[in-house]
Amino acid sequence: MTIILDVRDLTKKFGGLTAVNNVTIGIEERSISAIIGPNGAGKTTLFNLLTGIYKPDSGTMLFNGRSLIGLRPDQVNAAGMARTFQSIRLFPGMTVLENVMVGMHSRLNISLPATLLRTPGFQIQEKKVKQKASDLLRFVGLAGKGDEVSRNLPYGDQRRIEIARALASDPKLILLDEPTAGMNPQESAAAMGLFRRVRDELGITVVLIEHDMKVVMGISEHITVLDYGQKIAEGTPADIRANPRVIEAYLGRRAAGTTEQEVSAEVEL
Amino acid sequence: MLDARPTVGAVSLRSLAEWIYRFILFPIGQMFVFVVGAAVVLTLFAYGLALLFPEPRPNIVLVDQVNRQLPGMIISGITTGFVYAMIALGYTLVYGVLKFINFAHSEIFMVGSVVGFEVMRRLDDAGNLPFWNPVLLIMLIILVAMLFSGLLAVAIERIAYRPLRGAPRLVPLISAIGISFFLIDFVRAFQAITRNDFNLTYPTNDLEWLRTPVKLAIGEGTVNVRPTQFVVVLGAVVTLIALNYFVNGTKLGRGIRAVSQDMTTAGLMGINVNRMVSLTFFVGGSFGGAAGALFGMNVGTVTPFVGFIPGIKAFTAAVLGGIGNVTGALLGGLALGMIEAFLNGLLVYFPALGQRYTDVFAFSVLILILIFRPSGLLGERVDEKV
Amino acid sequence: MATKSVSQSPWMNVRTTMRQPVVAGALLVAYILAALLILSNLDRGSLWFPLYSTLAFPALVLSPFIILASPVRTPLKVILVALLLFVAIPYLGMRDSSYLELIIQICIFAGLALGLNIVVGFAGLLDLGYIAFFAVGAYTWAMFTSQANTVFNINGWLVSGAAFYGFIFLGVVVAAVVGILLGLPVLRLRGDYLAIVTLGFGEMIRVIANNLDKPINFTNGSQGLFDVGRPPVPPLLYNSVVGAEAMLGFPIANATPLSQQLLFYFIAIGIIALIIIVARRLDNSPIGRAWTAIREDEVAAIAMGVPLVRMKLMAFAMGASFAGAIGVLYGAKQTFVSPESFSLIQSISILAMVIVGGIGGIRGALFGAVIVTLLNLLVLKNLSLQINALRNVDFIVPIINFHIRDWPTQLEPAKYERLIFGLLLIVMMIFRPAGLLPEPRRKMELLEAKGEEPVTVTAENPVVTAQPDAGKA
Repeated sequence: MTIILDVRDLTKKFGGLTAVNNVTIGIEERSISAIIGPNGAGKTTLFNLLTGIYKPDSGTMLFNGRSLIGLRPDQVNAAGMARTFQSIRLFPGMTVLENVMVGMHSRLNISLPATLLRTPGFQIQEKKVKQKASDLLRFVGLAGKGDEVSRNLPYGDQRRIEIARALASDPKLILLDEPTAGMNPQESAAAMGLFRRVRDELGITVVLIEHDMKVVMGISEHITVLDYGQKIAEGTPADIRANPRVIEAYLGRRAAGTTEQEVSAEVEL
Repeated sequence: MLDARPTVGAVSLRSLAEWIYRFILFPIGQMFVFVVGAAVVLTLFAYGLALLFPEPRPNIVLVDQVNRQLPGMIISGITTGFVYAMIALGYTLVYGVLKFINFAHSEIFMVGSVVGFEVMRRLDDAGNLPFWNPVLLIMLIILVAMLFSGLLAVAIERIAYRPLRGAPRLVPLISAIGISFFLIDFVRAFQAITRNDFNLTYPTNDLEWLRTPVKLAIGEGTVNVRPTQFVVVLGAVVTLIALNYFVNGTKLGRGIRAVSQDMTTAGLMGINVNRMVSLTFFVGGSFGGAAGALFGMNVGTVTPFVGFIPGIKAFTAAVLGGIGNVTGALLGGLALGMIEAFLNGLLVYFPALGQRYTDVFAFSVLILILIFRPSGLLGERVDEKV
Repeated sequence: MATKSVSQSPWMNVRTTMRQPVVAGALLVAYILAALLILSNLDRGSLWFPLYSTLAFPALVLSPFIILASPVRTPLKVILVALLLFVAIPYLGMRDSSYLELIIQICIFAGLALGLNIVVGFAGLLDLGYIAFFAVGAYTWAMFTSQANTVFNINGWLVSGAAFYGFIFLGVVVAAVVGILLGLPVLRLRGDYLAIVTLGFGEMIRVIANNLDKPINFTNGSQGLFDVGRPPVPPLLYNSVVGAEAMLGFPIANATPLSQQLLFYFIAIGIIALIIIVARRLDNSPIGRAWTAIREDEVAAIAMGVPLVRMKLMAFAMGASFAGAIGVLYGAKQTFVSPESFSLIQSISILAMVIVGGIGGIRGALFGAVIVTLLNLLVLKNLSLQINALRNVDFIVPIINFHIRDWPTQLEPAKYERLIFGLLLIVMMIFRPAGLLPEPRRKMELLEAKGEEPVTVTAENPVVTAQPDAGKA
C-alpha cells in the first residue's frame, strides 16, 4: 500500500502552548484511519494544519507526493484533500444543493467572460455541476432535499451535507472532524456505513477525528492517539485497546492497571 | 487564614504603597515613557529626513526648520495624542467586550464637545464665567460632558446594538453607522433651532487665563504653549489614571474584564452581562465625551461634523496599539498624534505634498498597520475557533 | 375543505378575481394610466402641488415592481414594462422634464446600488467607500472633456463628445483597475476592518481629487471640472422629439434640452439593463455561489476550495466597474464634476439602498434605489416646498391648530437626509435585516434530473476536465 499522506515532525505552538508537538503520521491510500485523544489533545489543530488554516512552525507534510507547507486552504482542497468541521460550518442561507455545488469550486473552470456570455461550455459545466451535486446528495441519502435552505435541516442531515460538500471536490482524502458528534446510536451506525461507502465506492481515503469509541473501533483500520499534542500510540484497534499509555491518557494514571475489557467498556461511555 | 501575616499596620502601609504604585505611579510612568519614546523616535525621524533632504525648497534648510519647530511639534503631538488616546479607549473597550467597532463613537465624542460648549456658553451668557475657579470650571465642563456622552452611549447600546447581539458581524456595524448619521443631523437640528447656527465657538476668549499663552524657555528660544494644551494633557492624564483604577482595581472593572474574556462563561458565573456591557459603554462613552470637551476647548470651534476625522484617527490609534488592548490605545493615540504633528510641521516644506495630505497620511498608516501587523503594536485579543 | 369558508368571504373573492391574469393586466394598465394622467396634469402653481406630486410620482416609478410581482404572464410583463419605459416615461418627460431628470437620477443610483450589491450583497464585503469608484468614472470622462484649465485642456488632449460611448467602457476598465489596486492590499482583512479601510479609501480619493490641481492640474481641485462634454444627440432622436411634440401639441422650443435629457435617459436605461443582466448571470454561476459562500462563512468557503482573495477581488472589481460606467454617465449629465459630489454620505445612501431593498437580491437593490432616491430627492424636497408654500398662505393644520409658519425655518426636511438615512439603517437592521424585498434562494434540484444521462460519481469521473491544481495561481 502507498502512503498518501505523510506527516513528519509537525509542530505548532500558540504562544506558550504547544498544540501539536512533533507529530509523525502516515496515512495509507484507501484506508480508513482515526485520530483520537482527549479534549485539547491537538486533533483539530492537526486538521487545521493539514488544510492550511494554520501554518505549522516546523515539520513536513507530504500529500500525494506534494508538500502542503505554505499552501492556502483552497489550494489544499484543489490538491485533493477535503474536510468537514467539528462545529458544522455549512453556508446556512444557501440551499443544500448550492452548498454541494460550492464544494466543486476548485474543479471548475471559472471564467468571467464565459460566465457573462453564457458560453456553451459554461452551460454544459453548470448542468454537470447540478447533476453531480444531485448525485452526491443521493449518495449521502439526501435526495429530494436539495432545494431546502440548509439551515432548516435537522442536525444529522447537516452533517451529511457537509460530507457531500467535501466529496464534491473529488478529493483523494477526506478529513472528517467528529462526524458523528451528537448522533444517537442508530444515526452513528448509518454514518459509519456512509464512511465505508465513501472509501469502498468512491475510493477516497478517510481520516476521522472521533470520540465515539464504537465508531472508532468499528470502522478504523488504523488509529493514532494524540495527547497534549504528542502522538502517544498508533496501530490497529486491537493494539490501541491494549496500549497502557492510551488508557492512561484517557482515564488517568490509576486506571492504567485495569484490564483492557474494563477500559474499553468505560471508554465507550 | 493560617498563614503568617505581617502586622495590620504594616499591611495597610505596604498595600497603600503598592496601591499608589499600581494605580498612580505606574500609569503615569507608562504615559511618560510612551510620550518620551514617541518624541524621541520622531525627533530622530525628523533629523533623518533633514539629512536626506537638506533643502527641500530653495533657501529652506530643513535642519533649521526642525530645530525651530521641534518643541512646538512635540507639544502639539502630545496634545492631539492624548485626545486620540481618550477616544481610542472608547473603541477599544467596546471592542474588547462586544468584538464590534462602535462606529457611532465618533459622534459620542462630537456630542461631548457640543455639551462642553453648551456648559461654557451658558455660564458665559449668565455672565459669571470669569468668576469661576479655573480648575473647578474645567472639571465641571469635563464631568458634564462625560456624564452626557456616557449616558448617550448606554442608550445607543440599549436601543441599537443590544437587539442585534448574536447577529452577523456587519449587522450591528451598519446599525452603528445609522446611529452616527442620525446623531450628526439630530445635533445639527437641535443647534439650528436653539442657536440658529451649528458652528459653535467656545467662549474661551472671555477668559483671561485661558487665552494667555504660557512661555516655556527651551534652550535659547521660548515656545508658546496654549493653556488649553495643558488642560488637555492634565485632564487626559487624570481621567486615564481613573480609568486604569476602575478597570484593574475595582470589582466592576473585574466584571468588565471577565465579560470581555468570555461573555457566555461570565454570564454563567453570575455576572450580569448586560449590566457590564452598559457599564463598558458608559465608561467608553464618557471618555469620548471628556475628549470631546477637551478637544473643543483646544480648537475653539466645534460643529456636528467634528467627530468624523478624530473618530477615524482614534480608531486608527486603537488598531495601531492593538484593538481591545487598553494600554495599546494609549500608545497608539500618542504615536499617531506625534506622527501627525510632525507631518503637519514638516510636509509644508515639500512641494507637491503640503499639509493637505495629512489626513490621507493617517489613513495610509491605518491601512499599512492593518496589512502588515493587524494585531497592532501591543497585540490584540481576538481568536476565532475553527 | 377548510378553504371553502375562506374563499366565500368577499375579500377573498376580490383577491381571486384580481389574481386572474386578464383582470390583473387590466388593473395594472389602469393603474399606470391613472398615475401618468394625474402626474402630467398636475398644476405646478397650486398650493398642494408638492404633496400631490410626492404621492403620484412614486406610484408611477414603483409600477415596474408591481408589474413584476403581478400574476400576469411573462410576455405581458415585458410588454407592460417596455411601454412604461419607452412610451409613458418619455411622454411624462415631455410634459415636465423635471420628472425625467428625477428618473435619470434614480437610474444612476440604481446602477450604483446594483454595483454595491455585488460587493456587499453577494460577497458580503462592507465597502463604505464605494462612491470612490463612481468618482473615478466621473473624473475619467470629465478630465478629458472639461473646459477647465487642466493639463489635458492645455495640451489639447481633450476628446469630443462622441467619444462618450468609448469612455463608458474606459470607465468600466479604469474603475475595475482601481478596484483591484485598492482591493489587493485590503481584501485579506476581517470584515469590520475592511469597512473602515474602504471608508478611508473613499475619503482619500476625495482628498486627492481636491488637491490634484497642483503641482500639475489634473482635477482643477475644489473648483471642480466644469463644462464637461456630452454625447451628441442623434438627429433621429431630436426629430422624433420634435415630431412627437408637434403631434401632441406641445411647444417645440424645449426640444434640444429635452432630446438631450431623453438621450441620457435611454443611455441610463441601457446601462441599467446591461448591469442587471451581468449581475443576474454572475449571481447564477459558480462565481456568484462562491461569493455567497464567502459571505456566509469565509473559513468554510476557503476550505471548500474557494480562493478567497481572488473571488473577493473579482467582486470588488465588478462592483467598481459598474460604478465606473455610471460615473461617466453622471459626469456627462451633470456637466460639472467636483469632489463635493463624492462624499461619505453618498456611499452611505447607496448602502442604505442595498439594505432597504434586501441585501443580495437584484430586485431588492433596484427597489431600494428607487425608494431611497425618491425619499431623498422627491419626498424630502417636496416636503420642504410644501411647508414653504403653506407658510406663505399661513396655513393652519386643523384639529391641532398648528400654524405652519411657526415651523422653524431651520428644520427644512431636505436638509436632514442624514437623519433619515440613519434612522432607515437602524430600523432596517433591527426589524428587517433581510430588507423589504428579500431574495428567496434559487430552486434548482427539481429543474434538471430529466433528459441528461446520469453521471455517476466516482473518483475517475471528475465533473470537468480541470487540473487538480487549478487553484494554484
